[in-house]
Amino acid sequence: MTIKTTVIGAYPKIGEGLDGQELRRALHRHDRGEISTADLDKVFDDTTRSAIGEIESAGIDVTNDAQIRWDDLLSPFARAWSGVDPGPLERFYDNNTYFRQPVIDGPIQTDGRSLVRDYTFARGVAKSTLKAAIPGPLTFATLVARDEQYRSLEDRVLAVADATAKEIAGLKAAGATMIDIEDPAVVASPKHIELAREAYGRFADPDLALTLVTYFFPADAVLESLASFPVAAVGIDVRSRDTTAFDRLDAFRTHYVLVGVVDARNTRLETADEVARYAERALKLVPQERLVLATTTSLEYLPRDVARAKLTALVEGARLVSGEKVLA
Amino acid sequence: MTDNLLLTTTVGSFGKPEYLTKARAQAARGKLGSTELEELERKATAEWIRRQEDIGLDVLVDGEMYRGDMVAYFAERLEGFKIGGLVRSYGNRYYHKPVIAGKVARPTPMTVSWFEYAQSLTSKPVKGMLTGPYTLLDWSYNEAYPTRRDAVLALAEIVRDEARDLERAGAKYIQIDEPAIHARPEEIEIAIEAMGIVTAGLSAKTISHICYGDFAAIYPQVLDLPVDQLDLAMANYGYRWLDLFDRNPFTKELAIGIVDVHAHETETVEVAAEGIRKGLRYVRAEKLWPHPDCGLKTRTVEESVEKCVAVVEATKVVRKELAKVPA
Repeated sequence: MTIKTTVIGAYPKIGEGLDGQELRRALHRHDRGEISTADLDKVFDDTTRSAIGEIESAGIDVTNDAQIRWDDLLSPFARAWSGVDPGPLERFYDNNTYFRQPVIDGPIQTDGRSLVRDYTFARGVAKSTLKAAIPGPLTFATLVARDEQYRSLEDRVLAVADATAKEIAGLKAAGATMIDIEDPAVVASPKHIELAREAYGRFADPDLALTLVTYFFPADAVLESLASFPVAAVGIDVRSRDTTAFDRLDAFRTHYVLVGVVDARNTRLETADEVARYAERALKLVPQERLVLATTTSLEYLPRDVARAKLTALVEGARLVSGEKVLA
Repeated sequence: MTDNLLLTTTVGSFGKPEYLTKARAQAARGKLGSTELEELERKATAEWIRRQEDIGLDVLVDGEMYRGDMVAYFAERLEGFKIGGLVRSYGNRYYHKPVIAGKVARPTPMTVSWFEYAQSLTSKPVKGMLTGPYTLLDWSYNEAYPTRRDAVLALAEIVRDEARDLERAGAKYIQIDEPAIHARPEEIEIAIEAMGIVTAGLSAKTISHICYGDFAAIYPQVLDLPVDQLDLAMANYGYRWLDLFDRNPFTKELAIGIVDVHAHETETVEVAAEGIRKGLRYVRAEKLWPHPDCGLKTRTVEESVEKCVAVVEATKVVRKELAKVPA
């Protein structure tokens, strides 16, 4: 049996050449009033279809909807939730990529259906296992520009967690069984780990495979704490920074572990051998049935041709490793 | 006498006129030659020098009519770099993120002839404008150097050579921008070491622009950055970085951003003036330089002018107030 592979976050929305840039052109034309919103929606759907197709043709086992409609990790929710609006532009952690900082001006409320339409569409397209994704409450709450509603970070995190719970319930009702909770703040701000854990208690669901996905920063300070979060799996980026986490993955005794072994923020291409070596290292501490190989983060930090090549290396590396070989 | 107090300047780039935007797009498609494009870039540069003089700015810039991205411009001219595929920065904006694919080297000066041209058009000082080594690395993919520090230090030698050439060409002000400096606060020592290589032995006034990131995470360590002046986005942040100076006094010259460059609307003169007054609580007027938060290249020519006018008019208001205060 081959080790399972998956992607994290968004896939590049445009590719090389004129053929690959249809969405970019459509957005410009929509801005100029030359095409309707329905026309633009069709291009979004076509782009989603082609992105899922690329991920699947690379041989990835668990895909997502490629987040083609997302400007950044938070905006879809800052737009959909009442009480929140997308605010000023800021760089997203240590990337030269921007996001809109949410501005909170009232109680956060949602009908829990912000992602249902996109998830349902992707489900009709994907041939492989499909997962959904949502930002983690600590990440959302710590990246706000202004908050005129909640008196403390704790209140804000828990309010976001309650909204997240509704979105998760909405996705579950739409048929989702696996959901990534992208929460880099858990490793960027380890001092808030207990608050984050309390927030996760608001949406824990033993019938769902929830994955707490961390990236960009080392999980060293919170690794053991993460092992007690009420989720099915935890994602650890072992490439972005020096980290001891790679040698401590046995902290996870029941969780599935997604190990980010392919660097989604550098064009230097890993070989399949290199991926296999990372996998073998992880297999010394995590049994194969609980190990999943992944990209470190969203592939949208790369040009699309490089993203595609990275996925191929990830899958080929996973296929090079057989459990029997490693266990012997 | 208040003329040398609160010298006004800008961060580097201005909106490009429509004829130049079109020409650059044509050139990218191979439908316009480099000589014809450069002619238009020189025309736009001359227009911006004249506009800056008309507005009344004190220390000018060439406006970067010939640059697209502040890293790609240098990457395209350095050995060791290749230009990568398109990567999204936000919304529907994409850029070609450079790749460091081999040992970096500078075959020829990259900005000196533009500095000389711009300076020849005005009797006011024009700043030499460079991107710092840490930002050159952080905003590129590194495929060639074993560590980020190795790459930054190699790039520092290149930026140093360019800075020395600018000084030899007559630049009295050299700005070495490091907007990525807070990307990884744990690497601030690398950025400081690299800037030390760049500015060692320069007699020009040295400036570094820093924007859009967690400035608090690198303060007060950033005061060790070996430049004379730090140039900070402040208006966009509601001037909250000034609070940091309560605990650890600011020790350099401060170029203070008093208008937000990401908003279409321009602040009123009174709002911008209040920004200067806030800065004066921490930095003396001879060391405080009002300017927009960041480069204005995402604004139109008209919006760029409006923002600069707000800076200059606000400065006049505060200079008058200072003149009334007995020494």
